[in-house]
Amino acid sequence: MIGRIPRGGAAGCAAAVALLAAAPVVLDLTPYSHNLLTLAFLMIAGALAWNWMGGYVGQVSFGHAIMFGIGGFVSARLVLSGALPAPLAWIAGGLVGGVAALGAHPMLRLRGPYFSIATIGVGEAARLIFTYWESFTGGSSGLSLPIDPILKYQLYWWSLWLAAGVAAASWLMRRSTLGLQLLAIKSDVEAAADVGVSATFYQDLVFCLSGAVVGLTGALYASYFAYIEPADLFGFDRSIGFVLMAVIGGLGTPFGPILGAVVFVLLRQSLLATYPQLYLGLYGGLLIVIILFEPLGLTGLGLRTARLVRRLRASRSAARAA
Amino acid sequence: MSLLAVRALSRSFGGLRALDGVDLALAEGEILGVIGPNGAGKTTLFGVIAGSLPPSAGEVQLAGRHIGGMPAHRIVRAGVVRTHQIVRPFPHLTVLENATVAALHAGGRASGPAPSRAAEVLEFVGLADRADRLPGTLTLAARKRVELARALATAPRVLLLDEVIAGLAPAEAHALAALIRRIRDERGASIIMIEHVMPAVMSLSDRVVVLDHGKRIAEGTPAEVVRDPQVLAAYLGPGGAP
Amino acid sequence: MARFIDLVFRAILLAGLYATMAYGLGLIYGVLRVVNLAHGGILMAGAYLGWILFDTWHIDPYLSIPIVLAASFLFGAALYRVLVVHLPRGAAGGPASLLLLFGVWLVLRNAAYWLFTGDDRTIRTAYSTRAILVAGSYLEVSRLAVLAIAVLVPIVLHVLLRRTYLGMAIRAVAQNPDSCAVVGIDVGRIYTITFGLGTALAGLAGLLWATIFSFNPSSGGSELLKSFVVVVLGGLGSTFGVAIAALIVAAAEVFAILVLPSYLTSAVGFVLLVLVLVLRPGGLFGQRVLG
Repeated sequence: MIGRIPRGGAAGCAAAVALLAAAPVVLDLTPYSHNLLTLAFLMIAGALAWNWMGGYVGQVSFGHAIMFGIGGFVSARLVLSGALPAPLAWIAGGLVGGVAALGAHPMLRLRGPYFSIATIGVGEAARLIFTYWESFTGGSSGLSLPIDPILKYQLYWWSLWLAAGVAAASWLMRRSTLGLQLLAIKSDVEAAADVGVSATFYQDLVFCLSGAVVGLTGALYASYFAYIEPADLFGFDRSIGFVLMAVIGGLGTPFGPILGAVVFVLLRQSLLATYPQLYLGLYGGLLIVIILFEPLGLTGLGLRTARLVRRLRASRSAARAA
Repeated sequence: MSLLAVRALSRSFGGLRALDGVDLALAEGEILGVIGPNGAGKTTLFGVIAGSLPPSAGEVQLAGRHIGGMPAHRIVRAGVVRTHQIVRPFPHLTVLENATVAALHAGGRASGPAPSRAAEVLEFVGLADRADRLPGTLTLAARKRVELARALATAPRVLLLDEVIAGLAPAEAHALAALIRRIRDERGASIIMIEHVMPAVMSLSDRVVVLDHGKRIAEGTPAEVVRDPQVLAAYLGPGGAP
Repeated sequence: MARFIDLVFRAILLAGLYATMAYGLGLIYGVLRVVNLAHGGILMAGAYLGWILFDTWHIDPYLSIPIVLAASFLFGAALYRVLVVHLPRGAAGGPASLLLLFGVWLVLRNAAYWLFTGDDRTIRTAYSTRAILVAGSYLEVSRLAVLAIAVLVPIVLHVLLRRTYLGMAIRAVAQNPDSCAVVGIDVGRIYTITFGLGTALAGLAGLLWATIFSFNPSSGGSELLKSFVVVVLGGLGSTFGVAIAALIVAAAEVFAILVLPSYLTSAVGFVLLVLVLVLRPGGLFGQRVLG
């Protein structure tokens, strides 16, 4: 069954988080690694939240950058105006992101390709509108936040807790009756209605939660980089990023997007100097391969290898006994 | 007052009148059979009553409460649930999970956590030993029971069965027919069943309604209906009654 | 008043371009029930092909139409045979086909960046920027040429679909692929040809588009969206519907200049898309399958 991790897995995850939390101090990470990990944690949170819609409910959104951008700019504005300290500004960003997601309600009854294409349209329209909404986003020049090295250093842990929290929520959602109902909606929305599941309600709920988390991620991202511009936060590439991270990691699996996000960030970082555009083409190719051969992405690949290893071990011990 | 009352129910698809002013009443504790030639509108009738389709005209009342036109998921919570002619279990959920999803929507008519109620329903329909299997690995007879279990898990007051017996071997058909009777006797559900398998309909139903071309052409006890010349004409063609 | 007539002409000419863009997408969706998310990428590729033929070998863009058509057809046929054929048909293939073709678009985009860099390009021949005076408005030759082709394409399509055996087979497969297999139609071959035709039209549209607008490897997204609006609004298989829908979309964009700042006019297409999808996904003329 999808999502069953072996016993002791919970302890393993907790240990991993503890290790990561201790790493900057214990391992004396370079600023480069420290920053890279922070970014990775943020993208993990975003990809996991996207997966709730794209993987659990089955509605593939190409417009999640809207919530990311809204969260980022709302939070940045609040920090700039001094109205709220950073952590509260982040929460505000997340909340507004969630509310924005509710605006998608009329689109949510569209199925499959219609929904996805509608999200491309809304995403692009939003990008245009926000790019020229100078009083809010600063136009194409964007916004600059005061540089705060301490906050940036601490964002490592803020991001880590966010990522860990979202991962735990993903796990719980998957195992709960909510997860079952989402899977029912994804498999057969009409049959789901015929046994009492309200597709509109649950889609609204999940989209709102997904939007809130992605908004929160955008808010932390804004504080982290201290300079944000609409083309980056609201861009189509940003939306594509979430899709790629989740699908390559494992669409619909509770932890696949973590893998996808890590690989994505590392790949993009290593190609940034040499071939900045190549990472998209690479991911495009990877996407094709995954759709055709391993729909569960890297997670599926991992599960298959694990099964193979188990079978090899079993046949070897059987041969030895014979 | 009937438990379920359908008055002048109509449903058109463009120019096609699938249902044309159908009246129907289901009494509490009754098993009502619905028969008729192919294309008579039987499944459309279920679709409208259960909320999968909105009616074009007419009304549906459950114990006096208007449910016509309500979306399917709310009608399920009100206490009316349907099964599908071609079974549609959720393919990626186990049998138990299929029932659990439905058990969540019993509208307050049942108490206790959904998973345990689902398990109990599986026990009732005889699927307890296959609770962790995926529907795709089961036989058709078993999948029909999954469909049934799912519907039962919503603790329905009215159960709409769409050709659950058709396509089964005689032994399985007998077993399922007995199960249907037990549902009425033990689980407090009144049943409307569409069926082509005449022996089943005739032995299970208290009353039978006959549809043809979207209209109700006859109603009565199984024995009465079988002798009705209009019914015979509908099935065998005009002048074809032996 | 003169301004109004000018806008009307602009809308008609733009509609020609949008209609040409939409036919390819509509054909693939109508027959294979697949939304070709790579449509924008193929448009972009057609534009670059035309540009490279013009820039390096000085082939007039209108003369290179057969080359672009052939190359795009072969690409599409290969794309279908190698990749798309492995997808499950129908609703079950939903997100999978979207994502697969999206991946193809990303690869095309990346290839274009690698081959041509990210600079904006356009195709301008000596005569294409000349304008002819018609009823008080100056109409560019390039746009008039696009309109002429936009009128030709549905005629050719109509003849193909109604008067040839191939066209009959395509229409039959669109309606009921299983029955077709039973009567001996090679459904796989028909799908391959149809997909190729769809991409050929997309490539052609890209070439034409390149003669009017500038483009770069990231182009194609908004064109995909506008094509989709036209297809959904116009209904499947109704060439008349596509023409009307293209007019509506073009007119909305052109006349929006009167009320919106220029940078927002492209957003009109996107807003129209969402409105159409939410309000009338069946299109103006209802969903009709080819035939």
